[in-house]
Amino acid sequence: MVFLSIVNYVRARGPDEIWRKRRIFKLAAHYIGRRRNCYSVAVRNVHRALVYATKARKLKKEDMKELWDTRITSACEQHNITRFSLKEGLERANIALDRKSLSDLACWEPRTFECLAAVAKQKLELDGFVDGVDKKHPTGVNLNLKDVMLDAWLKERKN
Amino acid sequence: MSAAKRVQQWATFARTWHVFDCKWQDPYESAHVIKKYLMGLHKPIYHPMNDCGDVVVCINSKDIALRGNEWRKRAYFHHTGYPGGASWTLAWELHNKDPTMIIKKAVYRSMTGNLQRRHTMQRLFIYPEDKVPEDVMQNVTNQIRQIRLVPTRLDHIPEEEVKNFPKIMDYPEDYVLK
Amino acid sequence: MSAKNLFLPAAFVRAPLQNGVGRYVCQLQRITFKFCKSHGGSRGLRDFIEQNLVEFAKENPGVVVYMKPRRHRSPVIVGEYLNGDRVWMSVHNKTHDEITKWVEVMRTQQGDVSSSRLRKYQYTDHPSIQGPWTPFTFKIPELNTAQLPDPKFGANNRLPQSATEELRLMFEKQKLNVKEEELKVAE
Repeated sequence: MVFLSIVNYVRARGPDEIWRKRRIFKLAAHYIGRRRNCYSVAVRNVHRALVYATKARKLKKEDMKELWDTRITSACEQHNITRFSLKEGLERANIALDRKSLSDLACWEPRTFECLAAVAKQKLELDGFVDGVDKKHPTGVNLNLKDVMLDAWLKERKN
Repeated sequence: MSAAKRVQQWATFARTWHVFDCKWQDPYESAHVIKKYLMGLHKPIYHPMNDCGDVVVCINSKDIALRGNEWRKRAYFHHTGYPGGASWTLAWELHNKDPTMIIKKAVYRSMTGNLQRRHTMQRLFIYPEDKVPEDVMQNVTNQIRQIRLVPTRLDHIPEEEVKNFPKIMDYPEDYVLK
Repeated sequence: MSAKNLFLPAAFVRAPLQNGVGRYVCQLQRITFKFCKSHGGSRGLRDFIEQNLVEFAKENPGVVVYMKPRRHRSPVIVGEYLNGDRVWMSVHNKTHDEITKWVEVMRTQQGDVSSSRLRKYQYTDHPSIQGPWTPFTFKIPELNTAQLPDPKFGANNRLPQSATEELRLMFEKQKLNVKEEELKVAE
């Protein structure tokens, strides 16, 4: 449409309001009662839901991190190592695994996690990070770490 | 789901029964350990929405040890709901009334207050002595380690061992113990 | 009315009965071309029917091809699949090339995949090689025969050495030294 006079331009009020309302109603389609049928109620609830959704994007990440930490802690306890020393040991041994992978390994591949715990502990002992060697509660007793890991590689100090 | 997978599922979510000896243990410290087993926080499959909590059987709850003067000073609050219905029960009074109550309340309070808490508490069995019904005890397959070392009383140690224990010095004969 | 059909149903990436591993079974069973003989919107589909349809039917003997001319209606392709899905697609004003590609999509897909939301972009029937964790994975074997409660399993074994214990050990050591000296004296 071309408006030749300013009067007509003012009269054009844009698209019909049902299109504006439809956007909101589509988002409120799964609500119950007046929350989905009345625009004035629906729009309030949709706006609130969108705010929650925005905040939840961050919270979800934090929640997952917390859950993974809980799982790793519980898995570490079975192998006589703390989560802190596991993290420190793996970092020193240049094994870059994040929380998600570690907790997945602890759950789905428990033997691999046991090896990781043993490697972390041995690396900490070689680095002298833990002074008293925990002879009473060793990790990975039946594992022959020398078969799978090169001694030189373990002893290599991190800069 | 194939038969092998189904068995795997049962094995992973199998419910273990643990026994915990409360003798000489601080109930508030032990509550955090017991809570971990009750909620399944000791399993790498933990999720707040999956039912992976274990059962804990606490024995000897009458022999718990509170620190300092907490027996005399710690008060448990209760309100009947009526005006003037507030009451404060001291720890020793509560313990005399019901020797399982202190540990139960300690575990209850160590968990966050959500809808799951009361159901989780259902999996906690507390017995004042070490006499546990047979049908409970036959399920127990694991023991939770205590937090504190249970001391042995001097009169329970054989006399010979006491005599042979190394001493730095002997008290003089005219020494008066306060 | 429930909210069930408002959202895409969630699904995993899966092939029915390991389709494509070893043998391939075409999941498309029937395909219907609905078109108008005179309308311009059906132009592309008419071209496709004239040039490619016979070849398509020859190459895919397992697919039943139907054609349905109808006056002054827009052209439509409907595919029916082995799992019961029915995919309806408007090809109004689509060119010959586009329709060729869309028919290829209809032929190779395994059902109404576009109407499901993938939960993850990967899926495995065997998530674990070593077997998932169970409460029995790292259990101490001694516990199987132990009579619980037993202070051997119940006592805290992670406490640092107490002064009393250290004193006792020192004493024992001293006693050994005494014995050695005595032995030496005897020599």
